Amino acid sequence: MKIIVRTLVIALALTGAIATTSAKASSAKTTVNISKTSAVPVPTCPPDDPDGCGIFD
Amino acid sequence: MRYPLLVRGCLRVTSMPFLSLLGWLEVAFCLAALCAILAKKQWKDYWSLGAFLAVRAFSSSACMCIMRFGKPLGTHAAYQLYFYTYWISFAVESILALIVVYSVYRLAMAPLKGLQQLGMMVFRWAASISVVVALGSAFAPEMTRTKYLIAAISQLQRTQSILTLCLLVFVCFAILPMGLNYGSRIFGVSLGLGVLATNDLVQSAWLALNPSMHTAYNLVNGVVICLVLATWAAYFALPEPKRRLIVLPTTSPFLRWNQISQVLGDNPGFVAIGGMPPELLAPAELEVMQRASLKMATPFPRSMSA
Repeated sequence: MKIIVRTLVIALALTGAIATTSAKASSAKTTVNISKTSAVPVPTCPPDDPDGCGIFD
Repeated sequence: MRYPLLVRGCLRVTSMPFLSLLGWLEVAFCLAALCAILAKKQWKDYWSLGAFLAVRAFSSSACMCIMRFGKPLGTHAAYQLYFYTYWISFAVESILALIVVYSVYRLAMAPLKGLQQLGMMVFRWAASISVVVALGSAFAPEMTRTKYLIAAISQLQRTQSILTLCLLVFVCFAILPMGLNYGSRIFGVSLGLGVLATNDLVQSAWLALNPSMHTAYNLVNGVVICLVLATWAAYFALPEPKRRLIVLPTTSPFLRWNQISQVLGDNPGFVAIGGMPPELLAPAELEVMQRASLKMATPFPRSMSA
């Protein structure tokens, strides 16, 4: 149990570290480069977007 | 019509009802976990998590209502409302998540007061500097208010995610020496926060490549948040195993560092060096000092000096 939990936690930390590096490398292209974990979609367009970012599509 | 969209990985048509269901499930689990905290009288220790869940429930339900019933407002106005609700609640949640991490550390280290105080002081400094750096580094030439808001919140969220993962690693390795086990609420809350932090970082990498409001990753997000909230609700609803008596060997680094940390904050004593007027001393003290001076002026007997 102890080994399983420790492996899981280390895997989470490593995944986070790799994702941070990856996001930093490609974040210069986009305005929004982070979001919260939620089932609600991320509003990635600016607030004055003429199509409303396709909110009702 | 739907088959080509599904093949191309566009889940907007095929999964929207399922995503809506996940959205409402998220709100329901938030409220369930909040009720479990209140019912088990854990608000004093976990008020920050309770506040986080309340803000999340409110913001998610507001966003879901805008998406579901916002058409009469007009696309533009509805999107603006959605945009500010999402990002402002995100900023509040990031700050609350930092406070949750702080309070989890405080609870985990409660038996070792010295280390607890030292760690909390370091955490306060790290968090304060991170917030200032996040707000400062978001500045850029020709930056609009909206872009600044998003950049600052992104930095804040990244800081909070990294701090959360550090806490999770610490709690995971220190849980047994601290007398806790994997059924403890401290571990449950840390694990949930760690999963959220990792998912946030992975999603940020995904968003950098696919900047769209409706992506397949929303499905992953929905499932992850529901699982985490269900875990928290279960941890608070079920009875918590009692903390074991902590027995550390005398050579334990935890014990040694705790002793050192406990002494670090003590007020020092003060010694009068000179320039002290005689009125400050009591008559008895003056008498003692006069006798001592006389004794020092008297030469030592030969037998003693020899």
